[in-house]
Amino acid sequence: MSDFVQPAQMNESKQALDRLRNNMRRTIRGKDNVVDEVLICLVAGGHLLIEDLPGVGKTTLAYSLARSMDCAFSRIQFTSDLLPSDVTGVAIYDETIKEFVFKKGPVFANVVLADEINRATPKTQSALLEVMDRARVTIDGEAHAVGTPFMVFATQNPVDYEGTFPLPESQMDRFLMRLRMGYPEPADEMEILRSTRGGYDAIALNPVLTRSEVLGLQALVPQVFVEDSVLDFVLRIVGATRTEAEFRAGVSVRGGLALRTAAQARALVLGRDFVLPDDVTELVAPVLAHRLALARQTSDALEERRAVTAALKRIVGSLPAPK
Amino acid sequence: MSRPAVRRPQLALAELHQLKWLLGAALTLLAVGTVLYMEVDAWVLMGLTAAATLATAVRPDLPSRVPRLVHWLAFPAMVAFFAGDLWLKTEILPAMVRLAVMLLLYRNITYRQRRDDLQVVVLGLFLVVVAGVLTVSLTFAAHLLVYTGCALALLLVITLTDAATGGKKLPPVPPGELPDWAQDADWRRLAERVRAVTDWRVLGFGAVLFAGVVGVSALLFLAIPRFQLENSMFLDRLITKKARSGFSDTIKFGDVTEIQQDTSVALSVDVSDQSQIPASPYWRMLVLDHYENGTFRLSLGLVGQEFGPVRTHALVHGDVKPQLGAATVWTFFLESGVSRYLPLLGRFELLRFREVQNFRLAPNLGLLALREEPAAMTAYRVEGFEVSGVLPDPGFAQRWRERTEANPRRGTLQIRLPLEAAEQARLAQVAREIAGPARLPAAEFAQRIEEWLRRNHAYTLSPSIPAGPGDPLVRWLTSREAGHCELFAGSFVLLARAAGYPARVVTGFRGGSWNGYSNNFTIRNSDAHAWAEIFDEAAGAWLRADPLGTSAAAQAAEPRGEQALVSRMDRSWKARLDSLRVFWYRRIVSFDTASQAETLKAVKEATQNTGKRLREEFEAAVAKLKAWLAQPWDGRRFFRLAAAAAMAAALVWAWREFGRGWLAGWSRNRGAQGHPVRREAGVWLRRLAETADPADPRVREAVAELQRLRYGAPATWPEPSGVFRRAKVAAKVGRREAPAPVG
Repeated sequence: MSDFVQPAQMNESKQALDRLRNNMRRTIRGKDNVVDEVLICLVAGGHLLIEDLPGVGKTTLAYSLARSMDCAFSRIQFTSDLLPSDVTGVAIYDETIKEFVFKKGPVFANVVLADEINRATPKTQSALLEVMDRARVTIDGEAHAVGTPFMVFATQNPVDYEGTFPLPESQMDRFLMRLRMGYPEPADEMEILRSTRGGYDAIALNPVLTRSEVLGLQALVPQVFVEDSVLDFVLRIVGATRTEAEFRAGVSVRGGLALRTAAQARALVLGRDFVLPDDVTELVAPVLAHRLALARQTSDALEERRAVTAALKRIVGSLPAPK
Repeated sequence: MSRPAVRRPQLALAELHQLKWLLGAALTLLAVGTVLYMEVDAWVLMGLTAAATLATAVRPDLPSRVPRLVHWLAFPAMVAFFAGDLWLKTEILPAMVRLAVMLLLYRNITYRQRRDDLQVVVLGLFLVVVAGVLTVSLTFAAHLLVYTGCALALLLVITLTDAATGGKKLPPVPPGELPDWAQDADWRRLAERVRAVTDWRVLGFGAVLFAGVVGVSALLFLAIPRFQLENSMFLDRLITKKARSGFSDTIKFGDVTEIQQDTSVALSVDVSDQSQIPASPYWRMLVLDHYENGTFRLSLGLVGQEFGPVRTHALVHGDVKPQLGAATVWTFFLESGVSRYLPLLGRFELLRFREVQNFRLAPNLGLLALREEPAAMTAYRVEGFEVSGVLPDPGFAQRWRERTEANPRRGTLQIRLPLEAAEQARLAQVAREIAGPARLPAAEFAQRIEEWLRRNHAYTLSPSIPAGPGDPLVRWLTSREAGHCELFAGSFVLLARAAGYPARVVTGFRGGSWNGYSNNFTIRNSDAHAWAEIFDEAAGAWLRADPLGTSAAAQAAEPRGEQALVSRMDRSWKARLDSLRVFWYRRIVSFDTASQAETLKAVKEATQNTGKRLREEFEAAVAKLKAWLAQPWDGRRFFRLAAAAAMAAALVWAWREFGRGWLAGWSRNRGAQGHPVRREAGVWLRRLAETADPADPRVREAVAELQRLRYGAPATWPEPSGVFRRAKVAAKVGRREAPAPVG
């Protein structure tokens, strides 16, 4: 494997990503940056946590992504009585062959939408998070690989605290990025009001990307060139979070790796085969914010999110970018 | 890892304060160290200040623990102390030195403001300058250099602190409170931070600045007229350190040997004509004629008889008659603390001091004594030395001739033997055994005694004198113990006097080494020596007799001049250091304004000559080129020219093809500096970001290419020089219109 992307591969990936992007924009209106971030997460091979109020298009986003690819999609609605086996699947005794047969759960898909993940008990959350980490399910000592590519779209509502089990920080670390959707612009919302009919099952999108193409894109990411000064920049950002008094703890090594991989993925999504310092600065908040907790107590989750983001912004502003 | 254009971190305000604190402490220590040069009673204060400064430097939180009372009482107490000092000791300068040290002490046990830091610099400068004027030593020059460096650094840090506070004056730290920066001062961390922050450019700039200051000072130093501050001002009362061991008017057995343990330089001598250098030079300093119970000393009688009155002059005329042709000039640099008797090789024609001195001359003894032991290095220049082991003494010769007729007590000063009769008889017996019953000429007698002493006694630096009754020197003489030069010389004198020859002990230095770097004689304290002189009635002169050396007669056969130097050549690292000292002396010492003018003239001529030579060389090169062009052109010349051009083109091509790769590999290995192409691309990117319109397609294109050069994989790089060319074009066409002035 060469340490840079060949021009031909670059062209191919550009075309594939353009197709995907254009396809998704047909259903997700006016949220080009969110679409791009989802694509970054996809090619980086990471999982996505979307936090926002209900009804701003989280599910539509996941659905349109899954539909645009030649992929299996499944959706799990997390509730407080959901059991781990409801997620991963269960071994059932088959009378006819007199053996236990593994019945696959909903995680056996390529794009999994885990809706309102913070409503499930920690045990069930853990079951999902293990799959996210290892990309396989182990039942009764037998490993079952989930689909490739495998991407989890988790959503949660940060405002509504009643009857929820907030994800512990160690598990937040498993998500590559955390995004907010936000409300669309009035013009875009007008368009949505005018054109959308029916639920997302009615979303009519043709697959524009095959599974192997997605895997090919993911394989290109590690080959995107990162110059030493940019790596150093990443390192300094990560180091600064560790000495920042406002945070309870700094970003882990996995967090630093995630930032680098995400920056490579962003370069690829934007059609470059090398990483710019901008790629890093743009992704600091989505990639690092959910891995950090404030040292002080805050009144609610939204305030904490705002404070963390502001501190990160200040850190990045104070660190000189490579020149 | 390559980190091309990462901006260096900067020191935080607290770190600047910490640095300032440390530099102030260093300046204080340097300034207080100058007290060591001076003969001022400030030892307790000095020790206290140094200890306090070190303690507060290590633990900057200590000043906050100083009781409030100290702050209230500090200034009244200092004023009272100074007034009392003046009242009791009536010496202004020592009192001022003590006051300065005290102020420095106070400044180091309180947190300093900017004003106080500057005060530390000025106080330190006062001490350094006073010490420097007094000692004129090389150590002082080094001291001053280090001090200047530290002071410059402190001023820089003060400026940086001002910049960091935006020029605002920081409120003073109230007594008993701990400022933030002193709370968690960690010097190792600070050192690492300073190292990380320090840029070679800043360092280089600092070095150039420092060199500039030193260079300008050196020029000023060459240009200003020389005058002796210590003689022109009140400073002469405040003298520097006293003799370490020194020669005095008395010599107990062991004195010279004590000096011999000390290998520091005592005397440096420049010689204008190296062929005049004797094989073993004897640098005479003092004559000791009176013997009493194991001690030789210069008797008051001899002083009264031979030394002239105290004179105050810069010139001393000797007995030697001026000769035709230029006389050899010997320049002596006598270190302080050696003696007030000046080392001389013999009689001379003219001796010149740098400035007026108080001295007494004893022409017949060949001695010259300053009234006081000099506090600083003393330089004098001697012309027309009569270098020999024979010292004519017409006065003594006359007294010796007349001794029996008119007054039996006359001329007995250098023959008296205050010993008991039995011991005198025993000595006379020994002398007769050695020299036989007949009266020999002095030279021959001396030779026999020398040989006998050498046969019976070995040389050692740690002699033992046999116990017993009577005179110690006679006891040693009649034993077979080993001894040092003083015992040999003293024994010689006793034996000679017992046999009826006038004789005396002479002390000074023998030999020395030839410094191969600065081409001068270096005589160390360890070259101290004692020998004897015996009076030769036939010649009316004193002959040198060194039982531990070669006799005056044998010396004539030894090689002189440059050959003699070969065996004395010293090229050790110590000699290198000493050569620096001599260089310093040669530069600061000037015997008259003429030599200073000569130096300046030499500098000017050297500059002019260099310019002239450069011009000549350039003209010669132009002429050569013209001649070459004017030669007839034929095929071979064209061919050679073409071959040379092709070679140059090939070199350029090879560089472009391989050299850059080599450079890239080299810079990768070199680490932190980054690849030159990446650096250049970064510079262009910044320039375009600042001045160019990003909407312009050509600018966009150039930026994309530059970004690839700056951040992309080297294998995917476009041709860098083309990219930079296009960037230049883009910067020109895509220049943003200056925003219209608002208003």
